[in-house]
Amino acid sequence: MNPADYPFLPAWPPALTPLAWVAVLLLTAIVVGEATRRWLRISRVVGYLLVGAVLGPHATGVIGADTLATLRIFSDIAVGLLLFELGQRVDLGWLRRNPWLFVTSVLEALLTLAAVYAVMRLFDVRPVTAAAAGVLAIATSPGVVVTLVKDLRAQGQVTERVILFTALNTAYAVVGLALIVGWLHFESARASITIAHPLYLILGSLALAALLAAAMILILRLFGRQLTFQLAITVSFVLLTVAAASALELSVPLTLLLTGMLGRVFDRDRHFVSLRFGQTAMLFVVLLFALAGAGLNFQGWLAALPMALGFIAARYLGKLVPIMLLARPSSLTVRKASLVQLGLTPMSGLALLMLHDLTKQAPLLAQDIAASIYLAVAILAFAGPLALQFALVRAGETEEDAK
Amino acid sequence: MSDMQFGPSKALTFGIELELQILNRRDCDLTRGANDLLRVIERGKSKSDIKPEITESMIEVATGIHERYADALEELRAIRDTVVTAADRLNLLIAGGGAHPFQHWHERKIFDTPRFKQISALYGYLAKQFTIFGQHVHIGCADGDSAMYLLHALGRYVPHFIALAASSPYQQGVDTAYDSSRLNSVSAFPLSGRAPIVDRWAGFVTFFDKVRDVKVVESMKDFYWDIRPKPEYGTIEVRVFDTPLTVEKAAALAAYVQALARRLLIERPIVVDDDLYLTYSYNRFQACRFGMDGLIIDAATREHVTIHQDIVATCEKLAVDAQELQSSAALDQVALWARERLNDARWMREQYAQTESLADLMWKQSQYFRTGA
Repeated sequence: MNPADYPFLPAWPPALTPLAWVAVLLLTAIVVGEATRRWLRISRVVGYLLVGAVLGPHATGVIGADTLATLRIFSDIAVGLLLFELGQRVDLGWLRRNPWLFVTSVLEALLTLAAVYAVMRLFDVRPVTAAAAGVLAIATSPGVVVTLVKDLRAQGQVTERVILFTALNTAYAVVGLALIVGWLHFESARASITIAHPLYLILGSLALAALLAAAMILILRLFGRQLTFQLAITVSFVLLTVAAASALELSVPLTLLLTGMLGRVFDRDRHFVSLRFGQTAMLFVVLLFALAGAGLNFQGWLAALPMALGFIAARYLGKLVPIMLLARPSSLTVRKASLVQLGLTPMSGLALLMLHDLTKQAPLLAQDIAASIYLAVAILAFAGPLALQFALVRAGETEEDAK
Repeated sequence: MSDMQFGPSKALTFGIELELQILNRRDCDLTRGANDLLRVIERGKSKSDIKPEITESMIEVATGIHERYADALEELRAIRDTVVTAADRLNLLIAGGGAHPFQHWHERKIFDTPRFKQISALYGYLAKQFTIFGQHVHIGCADGDSAMYLLHALGRYVPHFIALAASSPYQQGVDTAYDSSRLNSVSAFPLSGRAPIVDRWAGFVTFFDKVRDVKVVESMKDFYWDIRPKPEYGTIEVRVFDTPLTVEKAAALAAYVQALARRLLIERPIVVDDDLYLTYSYNRFQACRFGMDGLIIDAATREHVTIHQDIVATCEKLAVDAQELQSSAALDQVALWARERLNDARWMREQYAQTESLADLMWKQSQYFRTGA
C-alpha cells in the first residue's frame, strides 16, 4: 500500500498542534487531580503538579520546553485571575482595626528574609545572592492559597489570616526583588538606576492598578450587578492588567494584587457581588499547576539538598516566631496561630516566576543558588498544599462534606 | 407524674435573648466566626451571657434579670459594644435581622456540640435552614398557674409582636413578600405552634408527661412554640420576635411585653377555652405577611382591626402600667412606630430600593446595629 495513493490520510505520526498538548495535559491533570482528591483525600493541586512534573521537560519530556513556552499564556491568565482574587479578598481596613496584624506581617517577612540570608551566608553564598534567596522565601504561593481556600470552602480566622498574610508577603517579595535587582545595577552600573528602577516599578504598578480599578468600578456602576456580566468584565480587566503591566515593564503580580485591593477600596457602594471565578477559572488553574509542575527542576538534587533544606528550615523559623509571639495581641489563640503559620508554607509558580526573572536579570548571580531554590520550591510545592489543607481542616474551617 | 416544678420568680421581671448574625466584611454573607468571637469575648471577661447557637454564623447574647426597661437597655448596649469591638478585631460584622437575605443554607456549618449535632441529624436540612435569628423575651411569673394564664392571654398580642419586630423580608436572595418570613421556617418543625389549652400548671404537667411517655419529646427544649413556659427559670418565653435591627428596639419590645403582662395579670380579661385560638393562625399569618398593615380578628369581640391601630390602642391602655414600670419612653416609642407603620422590614425594603444590593443592605444593617441610629 502506498500512502501517496491516499493523500487525505495524515502523516504518521501525526503532527500535534499546541492545542493537542493543552488537551493532553488538561485531561491527564484533571483525572489525576480528581483521583488524588477522592482516594488520597488530598488537594487536587498536588495531582496537577505531579502530572506536570512527570510529563515536563525535566522528567519524561513528553511536553518539551518549547511547548511549555507556548502554553505560558494560559498560566499567565490563571495567575492573573488568582492574584486579582487574592487582592480582592484583602481588607486593608483590618490592619487598622487590628494593628498587630500589620506588625506580624512585617516581622514575618523581615525575619524570613534575615533567617534565610543567614543560612545562605553559612553556605558561603555571596551577600546579594543570599538576600535574593531571602526575598524569594518571603512569598507564600497565592495560587495554592486561593485555590485551596475555595476548594475546601474554608471560612474563619485561620483562613482569613492566611489570605491576608499571603497577599502582603507576595507584595513584599515582589517589591523586595525589585530592590535586589536595583542593588545589582548598583554593583554593575549607574547609581541613579538603583533608585529609579524600583521606584518606577512600585509607583508605576500602583498608578496603573488605580487607573484600572477605577475604570472597572465605573463600568460596574453603570451596568448593575448581574453576576455573569460582572464575571466577564472582571476577567477582561484581569487580562488587560496582565497585558498593560507587562507592556509597561511593570510588575505583573504587584499590579494584579493592587488592582484587586483597590477595586475593593473604590467599591464604596458594594457594586461587586460576591465574585467567584470558580468554574471559569478552573481550567486555567489546572493548567497553571500542571505547568508549574512541569517547571519544577530536580536536576542535581543530591548536591542541592543541604542548602535546600537549610532554606526551608530558615523560612519556617522566620515565619513561626513572629506569628506565634504576636498571636495573643492580635486576638488569636496560640493553637490557631500555629495553623496560620503552617498555612503559609506553600511555594509554587510565583516563586518559579521570580526565580526565572532573577536568572534573566542576573544569570551569574542566580546560578549559585538556582539548583537549591528550585529543589526547595519543588519540595514546598508538594508539601505546601498538604500543610495548608491540614491547617484549615484542623482549624475546623472547612466544609464538612468537602474532603 | 413527673416532678417538673415551676420554680417561681419575681413577677414581671424580664430578660432578653438575642440571636445575632455574624458576617464577613467582604460580601456581607454569613460566615463562621462564633468560635473565634467567643474566645476574644471570653478574654475580655464580659459579665453578660454570650454563647454559641446552632450554626457557626450565629451568636446568642442574653441579659440578666431586670425590672426596669432602662437597666435592660443599658446592659444590652454594653453587650452590643463588647461583641462589636471583638468582631472588629477579627474582621467580622455583627447584624440584627430575622434572616440573612442571601445566605445559602447548605453552606452553614453546625456548631460542634452534642445537642446541636443531634438536632442536625434528626431534622436534616431543616436544621440548617433554621439559620434564622430571633429575640426571646422572658417574663417572670410568681407561680405556674399564673404563668399558664399569662401564656394564653398574651396569645392575643402575638400579631403585635410579630409586626413590630418583623425584619426578615428577604430570604435566599428574593423578597418573600412577607414582613417576617422567619416564622414560616419555624413552622416546618413538627413541634412548633402553640401550647395546649390548659390554664393550670398541673394540667400542663399532665400534658407534658403524656407526650414524653410516648417519646415525642424529651424535654421542654423540644417544643418550638410561639410562647412556651420555662419552668426552671420561672418564666414564660415569648419567641415570635425577629431579632430587631438594633438593641434599642429589642429593649423597647421587651418593655411592651412587660407592660402587657402587668395589665393582663391585673385584669384577667380572658377565659382559657377552645375558642381562644379560633383566629390565632389567621392573625399570625396576617402579621407575618403584611406586618403593621395586617388585619386581625379579635376572637372575643369579633372585631376586625388593623394591627397598627390595635397597637396604638393597646399602648394607650397600658399608659398606667408603663408609668408604674418606668417604661413610658419605650411604650411611646412603640406607639410611634405603630402610628407611622414603621417596622424593620419596611426600613430594609427602603434601603434595598436605593442600591438594589442585598450585600449593601447587610452592610447598612451592621452599621445600624453598631450605632443604633
